[in-house]
Amino acid sequence: MPKKINVKTAAGSVIYPTLFGAAVIISWQTGFLHKLLKTDEYVLPYPTKILHIMHENSDKIMLNVQASVKVALLGLLLGSLIGYFIAIIATVFPKYGSGGLTIVSAFNAIPIVALAPVFINWTKDVSEEAEVRSMVAKVLVVTVTSMAAMSVNAYRGLTELPPFSDDLMKTYAAGKVTEFFKLRLPNSLPYIFTALRVSVPGSVIGALVSEYFAEYIIGVGRQIRENILIAQYATAWAYIITACIIGIAMYIVLMIVETIALRKRK
Amino acid sequence: MKKIKRILTSKIFVTLIWIVALIVVWELFAFHVEQTKRTPENIQPHLSGIVDSLTSSRKINGSQTALQMVMENAKATLSRAGIGYIIGIAAGSVLALFMSLSGVIEKLAFPYLMLIQLIPILGMAPIINAITGDIAKSRIIIAAILTFYPVAANTLAGFKSVQKEKHELMYSYAANKFQLYTKTMIPACIPYFFTGLKISAPMAITASILVDTLQGGIGLGCLLSQSLKGAMTRYVFWDIVFFSAVIGILSFYLMGVLETILCPYKRIGKKE
Amino acid sequence: MRSHATHCLLFYICERSGLVSDLERNDIEIMLDDVGMVYDGADGREVQALTSVTMDIHKGEFISLLGPSGCGKTTLLRIIADLLQPTSGKVLVGGETPKNARLKRRYGMVFQSAVLYDWRTVVKNIELPLEITHQSKKERHERALKMLDLVGLSDFADHYPRQLSGGMQQRVGIARALALQPEILLMDEPFSALDEFTREKLHIDLLKIWRKTNKTIIFVTHNIQESVFLSDRVCVLSPHPGRLSAVIDIDLPRPRTMDIRDTPEFTAFVSKVRNSFEGV
Repeated sequence: MPKKINVKTAAGSVIYPTLFGAAVIISWQTGFLHKLLKTDEYVLPYPTKILHIMHENSDKIMLNVQASVKVALLGLLLGSLIGYFIAIIATVFPKYGSGGLTIVSAFNAIPIVALAPVFINWTKDVSEEAEVRSMVAKVLVVTVTSMAAMSVNAYRGLTELPPFSDDLMKTYAAGKVTEFFKLRLPNSLPYIFTALRVSVPGSVIGALVSEYFAEYIIGVGRQIRENILIAQYATAWAYIITACIIGIAMYIVLMIVETIALRKRK
Repeated sequence: MKKIKRILTSKIFVTLIWIVALIVVWELFAFHVEQTKRTPENIQPHLSGIVDSLTSSRKINGSQTALQMVMENAKATLSRAGIGYIIGIAAGSVLALFMSLSGVIEKLAFPYLMLIQLIPILGMAPIINAITGDIAKSRIIIAAILTFYPVAANTLAGFKSVQKEKHELMYSYAANKFQLYTKTMIPACIPYFFTGLKISAPMAITASILVDTLQGGIGLGCLLSQSLKGAMTRYVFWDIVFFSAVIGILSFYLMGVLETILCPYKRIGKKE
Repeated sequence: MRSHATHCLLFYICERSGLVSDLERNDIEIMLDDVGMVYDGADGREVQALTSVTMDIHKGEFISLLGPSGCGKTTLLRIIADLLQPTSGKVLVGGETPKNARLKRRYGMVFQSAVLYDWRTVVKNIELPLEITHQSKKERHERALKMLDLVGLSDFADHYPRQLSGGMQQRVGIARALALQPEILLMDEPFSALDEFTREKLHIDLLKIWRKTNKTIIFVTHNIQESVFLSDRVCVLSPHPGRLSAVIDIDLPRPRTMDIRDTPEFTAFVSKVRNSFEGV
């Protein structure tokens, strides 16, 4: 009895969305979507045209992709490390640490559009080259947005322990450092991934948006905007599709890493 | 003595200390910048300067003070963000309801829901603007899309969180589906619903401001790019930055307050 | 005249031969006939949760289903409640299928944990089934307060479940199960999560409620002493495969008080029950 239903359920999860997606793409290519949204094929080019442009300009696209991904990953790494560090401080000094966590979460609520210009101003003197300056500023933006998710979740991971596990450590007369490395750190691993599920897509968005405000013109996000400004819609769409692919690809990588890291726990 | 200690270590006091510490650090940097730069307010003005510009009655562009300008633009941005927010909430919760009611709809929508989360929607702002051609509409649409995902995902999680026993209890009363939802599922998902609201409130505001920057007109973002280009004193820029930051944080806490009002049972302590 | 005599004669013969002995006793609340439950286990092999369970439960009886984990006692209770469908055999609850009995709300169920809604006050939790059956607001409130009084928690009507101890929460669960005034009460290890002191007190309370309301109670437990103390009959279930290994009449006087536990008769019944387990 159970086996039959499982196959049906699994098939359903794949078939329905695929059919729906195919329907959307078909209506796009045939122009039906344009009628629906009351727009024309310049602003919303046919998928085949977009693919064509992507193929033709693949070198330039890759250059921009590299720039954006570098910013996103670097910011993600820095932000996660700092966020984890803040969580550690909050664990060791609980009373003062929780205030710090509130502040960090508050930072998360600050619109990126307010942060980006501020950081770009602050980093004006970091280097002679516009490229480097912009890079630093953008990385800073992504760092701040990644910090909040990581610090809150890591704090939970470091402090929400299974019942009596810290008591157990005490009965072994284990020092604080030992307790940290043998109990709290491993315990926090799933929570780290919970944070990353939010901050990985967030880092991509942060990178793209901060590119708008940066001095040096590079990056997938910036290219979207620049191309729209000069009415090169097909190219803009090429970059949009690229941005989506980046977001999805990074998330898939995250899922793979998470599965490997947590495989023993299931 | 004990009471003083309690106040010293209470959460509010600690947060205050952190804020004071941040202000001190800021001012230190501002002093440093003052010594070394020609136009310090471009990089990092004194906080007093920012406060000054907000409270002064000097007219910036001939007809309004700085504060008036910020407020007028803020109204436009926030109202559009608000409309988008409400649309997103409605759409998100309705979708979550349908996904909970129908397995087919859930399977259909789930991957696309994930997709929305992964696609940098903010990055797509320019193109949505180009499609709709109308900047007011684009602000609302993007704010709605950004609100839609957190509300839908969290509300759905709320529906799924109802334990099996509660379902069985309803089954044993031969309750119909309407009763099941109105008496059990919907009240149970309210805390999760508010988590979604808290997450998406700042995002709706961010979306609205961002779309502003793409085009001229009224709005905080427009003002932002204008002040960056030097159309008016730099302090306006900082006013906007701080104002947006404060609004973002406030919206987050506003949702929290709303939740506490609507769910009094959460505040009640546990009996030991 | 003659037909009446024939009727009596026939009846006499039938009764002597045991054919219709229970027909006369038309007070069978629940009838189980060769009930079996088989499902696919985790490793793909068949698990026989229950095999050939046959017994009758009479109106107003207090029956325990006793056994270790895996013996099928909870499965059996759920079959009676129509939360599960048996793979073989027949079940009649009040003369009807379990499904009809459930749709007519002939039983109230008490789960292992109280399953109270923490967004409703205690009295509103008890009103829940009454809302589903569309009673008027006034009636609902009155009935809920009456039930609350029955379990001795009238002072806590406007508290939230969080503010109550585990034992008190279970009492609210029992009050709620009685709200629709069902004929049958199905209880799935309701006291197993509580400490012994609370449990003993609740035993007395439950027996008091049972005396007052005259319900048929089916009580699932893994505690031998509990089953002997509370029940008229103890149905012993053994695992692998789940089956009814014995039904033991508990001929102890009622009302049962705490002192009974120290009597040799009580101990004897406990031993008898324990020895009737098979394969554990």
